[in-house]
Amino acid sequence: MRTSIITTIFRKEILEVLRDKRTLYLVILLPFFLYPALFFLIGKVGQSQAGKMQQEKVTVLIDPALEQTPVPALIGSDPSFVVKVQAFDSQALAEEKTTIGIRVEGDYAAGLAANESVILRITGDFSKDLLDGRKQSITGLLNKLNQSLLEERLQGVKLPPTFAQPLLIQEEDLAKPSQRIGKVLGAYAPMLLMLFIFTGCIYIAIDITAGEKERRTLQTLFTTPVNVREIIAGKFLAVACVGLASALMNLFSLVFAVLLQAKLMGGNVSAISLAVSAQGWVWMITLIVLSTVFLAALSMAVSLLANSYKESQSYVSPLMMLVLIPAVMAQMPGMELTMTTALVPVLNICLAIGAIFKGAFSLPAMGLVVFFALLYGLLALYLASLIFGNENVVTGEKVSWKLLRRGV
Amino acid sequence: MPASIEARNLGKRFGEVHAVQEVSFEVHPGEIVGLLGPNGAGKTTTLRMLAGLLAPTAGEAFINQHSVQKEPLLARRALGFLTGDMDLYRRLTPVELLAYFGQLYEVPQPELQRRIDELVEAFGIGEFKDKHCEKLSTGQKQRVSIARTLVHDPAVVVLDEPTTGLDIMASEFILQFIRRMAKENGKAVIFSTHHLDEVERLCDRVVIIHKGRLQHHGDIDSALAATHQARLADAFFEMVQF
Repeated sequence: MRTSIITTIFRKEILEVLRDKRTLYLVILLPFFLYPALFFLIGKVGQSQAGKMQQEKVTVLIDPALEQTPVPALIGSDPSFVVKVQAFDSQALAEEKTTIGIRVEGDYAAGLAANESVILRITGDFSKDLLDGRKQSITGLLNKLNQSLLEERLQGVKLPPTFAQPLLIQEEDLAKPSQRIGKVLGAYAPMLLMLFIFTGCIYIAIDITAGEKERRTLQTLFTTPVNVREIIAGKFLAVACVGLASALMNLFSLVFAVLLQAKLMGGNVSAISLAVSAQGWVWMITLIVLSTVFLAALSMAVSLLANSYKESQSYVSPLMMLVLIPAVMAQMPGMELTMTTALVPVLNICLAIGAIFKGAFSLPAMGLVVFFALLYGLLALYLASLIFGNENVVTGEKVSWKLLRRGV
Repeated sequence: MPASIEARNLGKRFGEVHAVQEVSFEVHPGEIVGLLGPNGAGKTTTLRMLAGLLAPTAGEAFINQHSVQKEPLLARRALGFLTGDMDLYRRLTPVELLAYFGQLYEVPQPELQRRIDELVEAFGIGEFKDKHCEKLSTGQKQRVSIARTLVHDPAVVVLDEPTTGLDIMASEFILQFIRRMAKENGKAVIFSTHHLDEVERLCDRVVIIHKGRLQHHGDIDSALAATHQARLADAFFEMVQF
């Protein structure tokens, strides 16, 4: 293979990508602005909705049997409630959008005097976000009343407040903040990374394979004194580079958006750190490069089966599922890197990257994943070159599996 | 003088269909040979086998004495190939396109620049040399395509319907260029077309293919004599009527 020829093909493909405003926009620029814009928009809309809900008044209808109890005053202490002491029909409340009812079962004063539990029933349509949120506020207020009544009862029988709480459960998390961040990143970052690399690769792979077949430029290339492996290598490098650039752009944008959002919400951004060692970064970069090799070659092989841009797009969804399912599986509780999971493409890389983020990876496991990731990458490249060498690809016709099996 | 192009009992089968059977002919340096046949006769398949795009299922093809199957890179290096199926890279300018193909043919840099300048001049590409190919007219695209075919100064040129879709001025320009290329520069040219008047004006010999088989291989006079016709068009119709 001649490096000068591979470089020539690679340079030409990249030049065409850089001149294609649509590709440039979708693969490089859009990801850069997408996440900050989305996070900002979601944050703003969320804030605005929360503000609206906070300002909206909710009427609380209180059973007249509770009029002489602390309940009306307690609920009325929250300015977002309008308290009305009046009888109400529970079924009728189902039609109300801003009304909640509180009813007592039995005699409130007599129940308390007899040291019994008095049932207070909060009624409303809690499928509505506003009423569900306010129900929690009412429960909080009533819990405070409950606590003070309990203390009164304990005082009455001369028992300390701790009497009603034999065990006080406390947690002590020994994980460092960086490890906690690593756990979250380890669960989600590998899947996002695979998704970003794949979307970056598939778009350009379709353009320079099926797109070229459709535009009738591939045949010209095959009449030059260049062998199939050189063409594959040049085009593959271009796909991998764009895929990697797109993934990095997505990742930087996402991290920037998360940090920006954390800052806007008043979080301490400078306290955010990762538990990834220098060795971990080396493994991580190796795995990202290998997954790019695999996904770029796979994208090319599948795109080559199509005769047109439109046809190749119908292959994208099934292929996306093939990539996403193992990536999602990697997030499942208890899923770890073992001899078996190290054999599964995409899943092995997701688990390995997850382990690096958590700062809990072993060298033999990493070696195994790298070996299989490399193997699958080379197999995908071999498949792509096999399809590329098919004479139906050369003449811009449908690829025949029969010819492919015979290696024609 | 050894033949620049040689088809030796060429055959191509697609499943049960014999697209081309036992086709043999030669083209020598400085000769222009017209490849004729109705649609589906096997012309494009024959040309694709000569270019190494399709592997023959029988026989062998040679370009500049190199077997297309056994020495594909040497054969392709000596060949300039253009069919109606080929288009230009949309987002490259004509000069970038010529440079790209020149590099693929490994033309040394100073010579490549000289060659590009010559082709830009010869084909009148200068006025649109910095436009992206997607913005060129059909005639301009065809000029660039032919320039691309010749960027490595090949000994053998195969042109499949190079004047299709062109107006009379552009067609005439290309025909004159083909004539000069063969007669002044000694290139062996195969020229496939449906315009028989172009063949009469340009070609030294004709190869007529029908239903994948060779019907005639010789000069135009021999085709007329064999069919007792006065015009090539009538001779052609008689040969492909069954």
